[in-house]
Amino acid sequence: MKLSCIGWLFGSLLLSGVACRAAEPRLVLPDFSDLTKKASQSVNITLDSSLLVMAGKFLDGDDPQDAAVREVIKGLSGIYVRSYTFGEDNAYRQSDIDAVNAQLTSPGWSRLVQTKDRKSGANVDIYVMVAGEKAIGMALIASEPRELTIVNIVGSIDLDKLRKLEGHFGVPGLDAATTASPPSKQK
Amino acid sequence: MDDDLAKARAGNMAAFEALVAAHRKQVFGLGLRMLGSVHAAEDLAQEVFMQLHAKLNSIDTAEHLRFWLRRVTANRAIDALRRSALVNVTSLEDEAHDIGSEDPGDPLLQRRLRALLLQLTPAARAVVTLRYQDDLDPTDIAQVLEMPLNTVKSHLKRSLSVMREGLEDHAT
Amino acid sequence: MTDDLEAALRAALRPVDPPEGFTGRVMARVASAQRHRLRARWRIPAGIAAAVLLAISIYLHIQQQRREGLEARRAIVEALRLTDEKLDLAYQTVREASGT
Repeated sequence: MKLSCIGWLFGSLLLSGVACRAAEPRLVLPDFSDLTKKASQSVNITLDSSLLVMAGKFLDGDDPQDAAVREVIKGLSGIYVRSYTFGEDNAYRQSDIDAVNAQLTSPGWSRLVQTKDRKSGANVDIYVMVAGEKAIGMALIASEPRELTIVNIVGSIDLDKLRKLEGHFGVPGLDAATTASPPSKQK
Repeated sequence: MDDDLAKARAGNMAAFEALVAAHRKQVFGLGLRMLGSVHAAEDLAQEVFMQLHAKLNSIDTAEHLRFWLRRVTANRAIDALRRSALVNVTSLEDEAHDIGSEDPGDPLLQRRLRALLLQLTPAARAVVTLRYQDDLDPTDIAQVLEMPLNTVKSHLKRSLSVMREGLEDHAT
Repeated sequence: MTDDLEAALRAALRPVDPPEGFTGRVMARVASAQRHRLRARWRIPAGIAAAVLLAISIYLHIQQQRREGLEARRAIVEALRLTDEKLDLAYQTVREASGT
């Protein structure tokens, strides 16, 4: 995972003094059956706490990647991913993700990043829900011309543990945990 | 008989039924004389034939069958007498079962003898019944009851003496 | 005297027929016992079969749990990979926008 990016995002949140409110970090994701039918490839991942615990037993402690993943998921209670790849541009509509966006405007969720790349047409919105000084939920919506991805991570997201994923997914090193601007990318 | 036995051993129920019909008198009769009750004798006889059905494969010949039936009936009756406090009194219903037989003779004497028989010990009762119902000689009785020959002879002698005394006492 | 007594005994102890229907009652009990024995005969192998089935089902359950666990592991890795990919997408956009 992009540790530098995560660090910047959470650091921004803390400095902006976003108020912490009790709210549901798990999103209610729509059925998306229409998108599944249209997609050339779809990924549907639903991992609740019991599955995360079960998976943890099959992560090889001697394998560096598995060990790092195990540390990340320790504090998590759910990982939910819906990702659809289409054979043509604009196969899905904005209205398809309105139900998700509506939840992310409710109290508790704060949008940290909204990126729009006019050249590629890719938009990425990242939201977090914070309790105290810890993020207890994260939501990511990546809308691309031929791909739509929604990620919802629920639980105590420990930044230090995320850092241990450096290099395992091609993630650059983190220069600083809390900075107002993104540090330079390291490979 | 051997034919029915062979067929019954092969699972032929009609053949087994024929065996039951052929030997029911002997088995029931022995049970009746031993136990003194029609009801108890029928229960015992049914048990004996059920046991026979389960053990058919161990019976080789008709002669073996007769021997087996006598032994099992007598042993079961002796066991039943030793287990229970069976009162040695025949009911009118039990006596009525003997009425109308082929050889009436002296029915009162016969009734008295049957009553005296029920006063004998179970083993003596078995010896006397096998001797005078089935007409077995003492050697055969000894084999059926797995009893020493001298014990059989002793039971016979003693039982006849007791019965004679009983008849004389009744006459006086 | 003894001969008379013995003759009287033979008459008194002659074999008698059991009550009517005796043979039918015996055959009915034999048939019932046969059915019961047949059921009991299958009960033993049925018990063994049940034990074997239980062992197989436990084994299959363990195998199923293992499959589910490995599948969950694969899903976690894929989920984190996708998340990383999209975060990288955002990062690239920010980086290009900032001219770095």
